Amino acid sequence: MKALRNPFTYIAFIIPTLVLYALFFVYPVIVSFVYGFYQWDGITDKVFIGLDNFTRLWEDEVFLKSLANNFYFMAFSLVVNIPLVFLISILISKVGRMRDFYKSAVFVPVVISTATVAILFGVLYNYDSGLINQFIRLVAPDSWAREWLSDPKLAMLSILIANAWQNIGFFIVLCLAAILNIPKEIVEASKIDGVNGWTETWSITLPLIRPVLFVMLLLSVSGTMKVLDIVQIMTNGGPFQSTEVMSTYMLKVGFRSMELGYGSAIGVTMFILILVLTGILQKLTKHEEVQY
Amino acid sequence: MNAALTGLRRGKFWIHFSLIVYIVATLFPLVWLLMSSFKTSREITVNTWAFPKHFNFDNYRQAWDTAKIGLYAWNSFYVTIIACLVTLLFAAMTSFALSRMKYSRMNKAVYQFILFGLLVPPGALFIPLYRLIQQLSVGGIHLYNSHFGLILVYCTYALPITVFIIYAFMLSIPNELEEAGIMDGLSAGGLFMKVVLPVSLPALVTVTILNFIGNWNEYILSQLFITSESLRTLPTGMASFNDGYRTNFAALSAAVIMSIIPVLVVYFFLQKQIIEGMTAGSVKG
Repeated sequence: MKALRNPFTYIAFIIPTLVLYALFFVYPVIVSFVYGFYQWDGITDKVFIGLDNFTRLWEDEVFLKSLANNFYFMAFSLVVNIPLVFLISILISKVGRMRDFYKSAVFVPVVISTATVAILFGVLYNYDSGLINQFIRLVAPDSWAREWLSDPKLAMLSILIANAWQNIGFFIVLCLAAILNIPKEIVEASKIDGVNGWTETWSITLPLIRPVLFVMLLLSVSGTMKVLDIVQIMTNGGPFQSTEVMSTYMLKVGFRSMELGYGSAIGVTMFILILVLTGILQKLTKHEEVQY
Repeated sequence: MNAALTGLRRGKFWIHFSLIVYIVATLFPLVWLLMSSFKTSREITVNTWAFPKHFNFDNYRQAWDTAKIGLYAWNSFYVTIIACLVTLLFAAMTSFALSRMKYSRMNKAVYQFILFGLLVPPGALFIPLYRLIQQLSVGGIHLYNSHFGLILVYCTYALPITVFIIYAFMLSIPNELEEAGIMDGLSAGGLFMKVVLPVSLPALVTVTILNFIGNWNEYILSQLFITSESLRTLPTGMASFNDGYRTNFAALSAAVIMSIIPVLVVYFFLQKQIIEGMTAGSVKG
């Protein structure tokens, strides 16, 4: 086994990865934490201000609004997207013919770039000619048409729908794979016991796919806390900051107002929040092992 | 028996019916957009639901010229390809060293260190990353406003997940295979090139698809680091076209269709691999 104990080869093989990783990842992580303690416009000297940036966050109404919007995003994913994903996956798992077709069809929006999805929905939501309002005018009084993206009350919901449109297919494929992985014997045994239809779904399928539900939960939580592209292109936080999220606010603070210290503090907060939330989730589900 | 059978069929009928309704509802916007892309702006407003009267390619010509889709798609393409290949090479080398070479304590430490990258969202690091890119130049090339810088950053952020997937695969390669290679007098490098890499092909394909789509669709880093119009990638090019042409519906539709078509064509032929590749990163448990 001497061949596999060659320190030169070993180092040569891991160094390129480590260099890139240290430079563009580890260094920015450390620097974020450092910047967070300073007041700095990027030009004049940094001023150390301790935790001021972090205490300021909790008095900053725009930041609190952004945080609330991230949680709105998360709540929508958990309450609307995931149940819908589960329902569609169950339906697809119940058919034999055309299953592959359904699976491929629901996945189509997933391969389109977020930037394009954002533009597409900008077109769909247009007041005069967009598909949504045209459809409303077709089936309901004209006055029901709305300014989807420029009405502060509706803009957030409109983005959530666009986001759901893009992401649901991804989760359906994950969930479907888990459902189809349930051993046939279990399903058949339960049929003999007289369990079928929705009872089966509720009492057999759902408990057995808990690991994948957990993965979907984790992905939704971290995904919605760091959401950026779709918001930036569709509304960039507007109108009147009704759709501001942490990451769009961070970019504005950092690049528009040139408050690099405060912007980094927002980044660090975002990162810690994701760690804490996913950590809690992991703790909660640690003792749950599925046994067939 | 007969009644039971029809009952079953009726059950399936409603399932198919619901699924078809769902799929038509989700994919209809794309069809509508395709129809709109051949209409004039006025036609879109007045005859939303109608089929376009004639296939008018003016919108496409206008979008192609103004949105520079050809140029941006080319930029995206080569940035994506180079970033994918470099990521693949680095990640495969690292995974080989960590999974097959006999430095177990070091291996564990390096692996954990790299996996840490999966926890931190790049979004949280934009400010220091931006400053860094602005100041650095490697071999005389400034990283800011260059494809080179973008490629390096894309590689870095793809590395943790790529190593994660390839490492897991290489770990599962049976020892006998590599022992045979060693008997034949192969060095570590030879083992990597001639034995482990070819055997790992399925994992390499999976990560390449995952990274290809990730880089091709990436928006925000390219938006931050590229300032020259001619260097833009497709997503940023599309976004700025959107800003300028929000009211020119017809051209906007054509631009969106043009940017989607290549992706859909590739997806049509490689559905299975793409679905597998894109979901590979998330099934860790």
